[in-house]
Amino acid sequence: MSDVLIRTEGLRKEFGALVAVDDVSVSIERGTLHSIIGPNGAGKTTFFNLVSGTIKPTAGRVYLDGDDVTNIPVHRTIHHGIGRSFQITNLFPSLTVLENVRLAAQATGSDGFRWWRSHARFTDYVSRAEEVLTQVGLVERAFDIASNLPHGDQRKLELAMILAPDPEVLMLDEPTAGMAAEQVPELIALIRDVQTSGDKTVVLVEHNMGVVMNTSDRITVMAQGAVLAEGTPDEISANEEVKVAYLGSLYEDLG
Amino acid sequence: MSLVDLATTRKPWIVRHRLLLLGVLAAVLFPFVIAIVVDGAPISAVWENADGNAKFLQGLAIEVVVLALYAMSYDLVLGVSGLLSFGHAMFFAVGAYSLGILLKSAGLGLVPSLLIVMGIAVLVALLFAVVLPRVKGIGFALVTLGLASVTGIIISSSEFKDYTGADVGLQGVPSPDWLNPTDQRFRFYLVSMGVLVLVYLLYQRLVDSPTGKVLVAVRDNEDRALMLGYSTFWYKTFALIVASMTAALAGSLHTLYQPIVTPEVAGLGFTVAALLMILIGGVGTVSGAIVGAAVFRLTEFYLDRWFEGLSNLLIGAGYILLVLFLPYGIVGTWRTRSNRIGEGRSRLARLLSGSKGE
Ligand SMILES: Nc1ncnc2c1ncn2[C@@H]1O[C@H](COP(=O)(O)OP(=O)(O)O)[C@@H](O)[C@H]1O
Ligand SMILES: [Mg+2]
Repeated sequence: MSDVLIRTEGLRKEFGALVAVDDVSVSIERGTLHSIIGPNGAGKTTFFNLVSGTIKPTAGRVYLDGDDVTNIPVHRTIHHGIGRSFQITNLFPSLTVLENVRLAAQATGSDGFRWWRSHARFTDYVSRAEEVLTQVGLVERAFDIASNLPHGDQRKLELAMILAPDPEVLMLDEPTAGMAAEQVPELIALIRDVQTSGDKTVVLVEHNMGVVMNTSDRITVMAQGAVLAEGTPDEISANEEVKVAYLGSLYEDLG
Repeated sequence: MSLVDLATTRKPWIVRHRLLLLGVLAAVLFPFVIAIVVDGAPISAVWENADGNAKFLQGLAIEVVVLALYAMSYDLVLGVSGLLSFGHAMFFAVGAYSLGILLKSAGLGLVPSLLIVMGIAVLVALLFAVVLPRVKGIGFALVTLGLASVTGIIISSSEFKDYTGADVGLQGVPSPDWLNPTDQRFRFYLVSMGVLVLVYLLYQRLVDSPTGKVLVAVRDNEDRALMLGYSTFWYKTFALIVASMTAALAGSLHTLYQPIVTPEVAGLGFTVAALLMILIGGVGTVSGAIVGAAVFRLTEFYLDRWFEGLSNLLIGAGYILLVLFLPYGIVGTWRTRSNRIGEGRSRLARLLSGSKGE
């Protein structure tokens, strides 16, 4: 039985003359890990921006669980259960690791305007932050300033910040970008674990084909803004058009 | 010890506020010490408000309190929330003139006047807030500068001379007998100090609260704060309202204390004064505003007395050295017990260019 959680309908985004996302209609099923792959400039990040409300489409709609969420303001996205991470690290650089995650946890509560009480009294957010930092293995660095972390740890922090509010959908834009190769499997295993144990829906952009083929339930291939193919990992690796257009040598590497 | 314990356990209130408590004690003792040591007068000279150094220096301290409240409100806007406003003087000027007009022309009592002034302060803050979503960074600076300039023009305009005194200034504002700045100097001094302490504690609370943490997040990376789910507009509006009320309170004290209020209080120069005070104390530290106001007013006063014509030059040079070599200000440097000059300079540059985040 198919249970569609995110559905886009004719999604289109133009930047001047450039069509970054061109008539993209995808359905992402609840509880699956759905990867979006495609060469650089294919429009994957723009697609993420459209679904998470960071930018508004030129045309088309986004539905979440049947509700039209196309034009909700960006700060409402998380309240609809969509958490989104960034390809380019996007943190609070001068705050501590803990405070970055604590802020992410606090955002989903309703205590933001309790200006007369110390934030330390709201221990729920701190314990949630501790929980998530333990999960991603950053708890020892809790009191470090975010901008002082090595790149790999910044990626983990980025992930921790979207885990903290416990969203139903995790949209991860190249979560392993720039990470040392030996750290990648660990992070992917963590994502997979969060997804299966919490019955979450994960939308993943990832360049490592081994990772994509091994972990995805479904794959959408984008090229030049449009959807080129969609299917299970087996179907995608067997797709001649995809091989020609994109996988090419990468695919051979897989062996 | 768990992370939660580490992050949420605090020293007792009295330990955290020991400097404040010492400061309050010193402030209360100060007039008596001056009366005895400098004036050679009996301690009763203080509550009898006898002329002398004790009375004069209390007056200077009242001016410092007015400036400290004003600078603290600017620190909330710029230092904590990262909003580059060049029109902050408007908050002060509206408070100063509104109170003066309500007391003098409308003949209202002090308490109802102050309540109305606070209401007006909220409206002025909302005027700034309307601009917020439309212009960012330096654009916000220019629009707020424009709003303050218009205020200055209205205040100086001869159309409203009967109310504002136009470019001559507002004079003859009646002060209540119980709070007369001359006859009841000591009481006025204690009331001002009390107001400052209360506002300071309130600000400490605010900055440490969930709200204050979001304001800092907005300063650091507003887009990320939005993505996390914070409606940053309302947080910034909140900061502007609190700051406007505080600056209006400072302006009100100014009007009550000074025999004359002039249109300069709406000018860019007076916003720059707020900036200088928080630079001296440490941008974003809150308590730095008090230290900065004291240093600012006292250097201005004594350099003027000792060097006359040269004083402005010396003050200017002092500020340049300060920004270059003590970018975290006095309190900021003291807190971290270190002075990372390069990092501090780029932090200031980021704040003052109106661009947030990396
Ligand atoms: N804000 C923008 N303004 C103009 N062009 C953009 C913008 N964002 C993305 N693009 C362009 O849209 C295309 C798709 O980019 P992107 O979505 O980042 O691709 P991907 O994430 O698949 O590498 C690229 O050609 C890129 O240059
Ligand atoms: Mg991308």
